[in-house]
Amino acid sequence: MNKIMYLEFERCIGCRACQAACRECGDHDAKERNFVEYVDFMESRQTYPMLCMQCKDPACARVCPANAIQITDDGVVLSAMEEKCIGCRNCTFGCPFGIPKFDFEENKMYKCDMCYDRSQHDIAPMCASVCPSEAIRFIDFDEMQALRRQRSQMNLVEGKKPTEQDKWQYVPEFFGVYTSDE
Amino acid sequence: MTDFMVKKGVKNLHREGEKLITTHCSYCGMQCGMHIRVNEKTGKIAGVEPRYDWPVTNGKLCPKGVTAYQQIDHKERIKRPLIKKNGKFVESSWEEALSLIEEKFTETQAKHGKDALSVFGGVSMTNEKCYLVGKYARVALGTRFIDYNGRFCMSSAAGGFIKTFGVDRGSTLPWPELEHSDCFLIAGSNTAECHPTSIQWFWKARDKGAKMIVIDPRETPTARIADVHIDLKPGTDSALANGLLHLIIKEGYVDEKYVAERCNNYKELQESVETFTPEYTAEITGVAVEKIIKAARMYGASKRSVVMFARGVEQQSKGVDNVTLYTSLALLRGQIGKFASGVATFTGQGNGQGGREHGQKADLLPGYRKLTDPEAVKYISNVWGIDPKDMPKPGVSAFEMFDEVQKGNIRAMHVICSNPAVSAPHTEYVWDSFKKLDFMVVNDFFLSETAEFADVVLPATTWAEDEGTTTNLEGRVIHIRKVTEPRHESKPDWMILSEIAKRMGKGKHFQYETPKQIFEELRIATKGGKADYHGITYDRIDREDGVFWPCPEEDHPGTPTMFKERFATPDGKANLPVVAWKEPGETPTKKYPHILTTGRVVYHYLSGTQTRRIDFLMEQCPLPYVEMHPEMASQYNMQEGETIQLTTARSSMKTEVKLTKAIRKDTLFIPYHWGKELAVNQLTNPCLDPISRMPEFKVCAVKIEKIYEQEGIK
Repeated sequence: MNKIMYLEFERCIGCRACQAACRECGDHDAKERNFVEYVDFMESRQTYPMLCMQCKDPACARVCPANAIQITDDGVVLSAMEEKCIGCRNCTFGCPFGIPKFDFEENKMYKCDMCYDRSQHDIAPMCASVCPSEAIRFIDFDEMQALRRQRSQMNLVEGKKPTEQDKWQYVPEFFGVYTSDE
Repeated sequence: MTDFMVKKGVKNLHREGEKLITTHCSYCGMQCGMHIRVNEKTGKIAGVEPRYDWPVTNGKLCPKGVTAYQQIDHKERIKRPLIKKNGKFVESSWEEALSLIEEKFTETQAKHGKDALSVFGGVSMTNEKCYLVGKYARVALGTRFIDYNGRFCMSSAAGGFIKTFGVDRGSTLPWPELEHSDCFLIAGSNTAECHPTSIQWFWKARDKGAKMIVIDPRETPTARIADVHIDLKPGTDSALANGLLHLIIKEGYVDEKYVAERCNNYKELQESVETFTPEYTAEITGVAVEKIIKAARMYGASKRSVVMFARGVEQQSKGVDNVTLYTSLALLRGQIGKFASGVATFTGQGNGQGGREHGQKADLLPGYRKLTDPEAVKYISNVWGIDPKDMPKPGVSAFEMFDEVQKGNIRAMHVICSNPAVSAPHTEYVWDSFKKLDFMVVNDFFLSETAEFADVVLPATTWAEDEGTTTNLEGRVIHIRKVTEPRHESKPDWMILSEIAKRMGKGKHFQYETPKQIFEELRIATKGGKADYHGITYDRIDREDGVFWPCPEEDHPGTPTMFKERFATPDGKANLPVVAWKEPGETPTKKYPHILTTGRVVYHYLSGTQTRRIDFLMEQCPLPYVEMHPEMASQYNMQEGETIQLTTARSSMKTEVKLTKAIRKDTLFIPYHWGKELAVNQLTNPCLDPISRMPEFKVCAVKIEKIYEQEGIK
């Protein structure tokens, strides 16, 4: 599988179709494994989606004392194996993205597995399939590279050159509601 | 013909023991393509699979679309006909329910005349059903009182388009072209929440550098991504549009050749916008002058632009005027009838487009024919096999039907696919009207707030248990497939209407066994009309990814782009409007000092009858709330999460405060999807547009008060 999940936070419209769709995945027990948050509802409607980064060296698996979190040959980090998981919840604290969740009723951890039943056949995971704004995409690695290049190209067109550090400042000129009495 | 359609090379996940059936969503006008998963053995609905190859939506779905299938096997489905006995609903047989309807309808008409019956339709159902509702009212019941919930939705857009272009098709261009536009001017539409899957086209265009101007009192998820967000005061759209037209003309952005060749009334328009200088416009609208200028220049300089609007500008007492003015922006720029440019309204209901074309409106017959045109009456009477003399005269608009109930002229009502107890303005008046009715029948698959008032509730099917066509917001006629057999004892509306017709002695006009037969009749009924479906067949829809009307003959390709050469007016030219500034029906006063506006959230659809029963959607948004700017909140010492009281001249309600700077300081916003004491439409103003009879949901004057209910304080 040479496909990657590509997130473009600014595109997110906060509809949470990705969460609803996550529950629809056959292996997900109707529980969502991703989330969408407001950056700051008081200030703006900007939201962002988050799902598992499928890290090469995942913190969740590293901190698991029972070695319950397995990684497939094509690099997908799976939910903890039921027979191994001891319910210590180290993974939920270890993950810097807040992805692993804990089911207190079943006493086991569950997490985003990139809809492995779909993605192993190169079919897009549910969240990326339905995301109306294409904030979440399931694309070839090369396509992702091209998208990155295109971003800087657009910024040249606009006469701006954001870097990874300050790209958040490159939002529309009129940001926030203000009226003429100010 | 198979039930599963997929283009070559597109992969879907097929699970063992399941089949996929290709259809569209039940909700808004986007009509997103989807496959529904059905267990082959049990027939149970298993879920949804994206339809990656539907050209309008590319497999994308919003959370409502993802969970739409959960309506079908929902535990709250009405299983059998319900009859109210001693104030309580009791399950009954179809025979008993239909006999009661026959008896009451006949009795009412014998006592009070034919027009004592009325029909209140809706457009969240197929063309076949919408068409039949009109025929049912006029042929089976013989009443002139028929209208539909599109009056609360699309009627201003329809009125504006008919005035300007001579025909009302929601979009003059097919939406996949949006990707190639250079500029979008979007007024009164929070499309990111209300039509979420449309946002992909705007984003695609923006990736190539397209500009976006959003006109909305709130900084919605749509406005957030705009280049210019014009945060105008609710109800001042006509002034703003006049102001933009003023600048387009003054700064030389007008396509003079196009206007001279294809538009009437340019001189008059020029004169009428003369006074709308940016300063004067800013004074009325409360928008900064530089934003108006920036927007006008951005829009004016764009080669290919699309003007789009939705209920924000339409649900006003000047809705039609607003539509004609915004549409003129596109006309002056010479944008209509060309590639990737034009004008479009975002159709709110699933079949808002098709449903308003086929005779559910008080004054219209199928194919957009006018009931006041004797030729049209003759043609349709012939199709229906009735004497033209028996064709009822035009009735009144949806909200005015309740006036007729109050006056005692309407004594019984049949509500089909609608929930006016939530969606009409000034709901207390509507509730009182329902109580005044001698007899009321409701078709629905959940017990809606309206159904609770009924004497008989007939269990209808959901969209997935019947076949038919809808017309999406582009004007593309598409195919809804039957996914499964009707649940419990429910029946599709067309079957229910046909059975009542039979009992009213009009059975020979309602001899249908399949929806396809109704569609065949509809094709003939619309032949030669403005919305001509004659060349459209189920097979063509499947083969061609939908067919755009007008399509007069089977070898006609359909009409994706409207008005390429001429407009549908008698002289072929578009009519530019002249609109003077007028205040909305209510403006803030000392007693009611703020402006209240209403709208949707992404998790709910219309009156919420369907979406308020879906777990995922209710987890995200269980209750209405009022959005308030923190500056207004601090003037009243109100805090986040506090329950406050809102009062207008109609009534008052309590709801929770949600603080945000993404709204004007003088404006409050409440979503409208809830009923009874949670319905914001208790407060809204039923001030009607003079042409479209659209109520002014979007503007009313309101006062807010703190509620002192802490322990120890009285």
